Amino acid sequence: MITFEGVTKRYPDGTIAVDDLDLEIAAGQTMVLVGPSGCGKTTSLRMINRLTDPTSGRVLLDGRDIQESNPDVLRRGIGYVIQQAGLFPHRTIEDNIATVPLLIGWGKGKSRGRARELMDLVGLEPGLARRYPYQLSGGQQQRVGVARALAADPPVLLMDEPFSAVDPIVRASLQDELIRLQADLHKTVVLVTHDVEEAIKVGDKVAIFRPGGRLAQLDSPERLLGAPSDAYVENFLGFDRGIRRLSFLAASGLALDDTPVAAQDAPASGALRAAAQSGEAWVLIMDAERKPRGWAAADELESLPAGARAGDARLIPYGHTFGVSTDSLRAALDATVLSPTGHAVGVDDAGRVVGVTSYERLRTAIQAAGQAPRPGRAREAAAR
Amino acid sequence: MVWSWIPGNAAVIRQYTLDNALLGIVPALLGLVISVPLGIACVRWRWLYPPVLSTASVLYALPSLALFIVLIPYTGLSDTTVIIPLTLFSLCVLVPNVVDGLRSVPEPVRQAATAMGFGTLRRLVRVELPIAVPLVIAGLRVAVVSSISLASVGQLIGVYSLGYFFIDGYQRDFPTEIFVGLVLIIALALVCDLLLVIARRLLTPWRETRRRREIPRVMVAGAPRAAGA
Repeated sequence: MITFEGVTKRYPDGTIAVDDLDLEIAAGQTMVLVGPSGCGKTTSLRMINRLTDPTSGRVLLDGRDIQESNPDVLRRGIGYVIQQAGLFPHRTIEDNIATVPLLIGWGKGKSRGRARELMDLVGLEPGLARRYPYQLSGGQQQRVGVARALAADPPVLLMDEPFSAVDPIVRASLQDELIRLQADLHKTVVLVTHDVEEAIKVGDKVAIFRPGGRLAQLDSPERLLGAPSDAYVENFLGFDRGIRRLSFLAASGLALDDTPVAAQDAPASGALRAAAQSGEAWVLIMDAERKPRGWAAADELESLPAGARAGDARLIPYGHTFGVSTDSLRAALDATVLSPTGHAVGVDDAGRVVGVTSYERLRTAIQAAGQAPRPGRAREAAAR
Repeated sequence: MVWSWIPGNAAVIRQYTLDNALLGIVPALLGLVISVPLGIACVRWRWLYPPVLSTASVLYALPSLALFIVLIPYTGLSDTTVIIPLTLFSLCVLVPNVVDGLRSVPEPVRQAATAMGFGTLRRLVRVELPIAVPLVIAGLRVAVVSSISLASVGQLIGVYSLGYFFIDGYQRDFPTEIFVGLVLIIALALVCDLLLVIARRLLTPWRETRRRREIPRVMVAGAPRAAGA
């Protein structure tokens, strides 16, 4: 656990980078510090491993004032990832990763073994071990940076704008990777970013800073989106926070309609009855394993000759499905909006049809969720 | 050109070539030994750099012969009398290169080293100096080549080098000798330079080289993983 107690950082020229900050970062949690540039988020981060010392106040690590510890020893127990990775250009990838283990005396063999382990963990091919940093892409370098920070298995990981120097696609994959790693490792992660999307995506808790080094709001991403404390926070979160908040609501809260569905081998007349029963102009046709095949229009089914099977109808692609137990309401809404029929298909873990959505059913679910926010979060990205 | 002069004087030629090589290499190495700590100090205390740089430039501007003569009362007609001025001259290229080399360490790299628990000294030895090596060697190349050529001036005060052939050849009006001395000095400079280039290649395999062919292959091998993983 990391605790900031009334921490202020004032520079000799009078600039106040951090103003009387109180912050508690629970062990095993991902805390994101976010805000515009000059809001003191990076300064706060750097006070945890004493790259910067506070002017007043205390920073405690597991109850101990870090001011009392030797900075080099303290730092070896805290992983640090920075924007441009900051890899040692003159060392191979494995030696870069093995830096801290070597520093704390694990010996060459053990350190390199650990480096190989970490390369695997962060998704780097073993063939890269003997390469030098200049031979790697930006995304790969950043993975090495993360592996290097984790090498000595520190309980705390500090990340200073770790993904902002890579292109958006690589950034998204690195964020997913961090979420996946964190689910296994349960480090105390403090991540600084200016990207509120990133904060919402990876943070268990998000601390929004305002210019002048003051904390504007500290909350879970879901609560931030649902109840911003003031206009500054609301403005900072961006215009579509209502939609984004749906990412934190599980699709399982949605009542799906399982009537307008039919097996492909069922008689077309039966499928037509299913459509009529649900009042829909469409029926979802499934294969023998209940996997979706496509939508059949009621008119189309009606025009089929007597004795035809439902699967004989001309089918319209069903578009994206969403996982009923794994995805969020946002994914369900998105799939519905994109569907040519205005209905999206909810599937179980094996990809079998559970039921279909409608705008009406989504509206009901969203309204219900608005009244009683669900705990726990469905991470869209992780589930895809 | 009297070709037969060469085999007839092979022993002397070999001896003076070696002498000249020594008078070129020793000052450059001594210069390196002085300029590394001096350069480190100049990076550590910024105010120190301008005066050090001006002093080195002024020393470089002094005529070598004048310095030899000033030193004769103290060090006599020995190699030392030539080595000291050449060492001072080499500082003019070596100190700036050491400073630039240390400053070439990217800020994120320096920060990462500190944040991982490298103390100042360890960071200097394990990170900053190795990264400075290419620029330091570049300076060393200039220092060695100029010392090799300047060493011949020492012949005027009787310190033997390939310069002997210039003076002797001139006095005896024997161009072959002058020509041989000149070719050997150039060859010596080229050989030393080449050795330093090889040394740099071996010491810094991590450096992006001009062998571009290798780089795209690596990038292609890594790209799908970076995008897809």
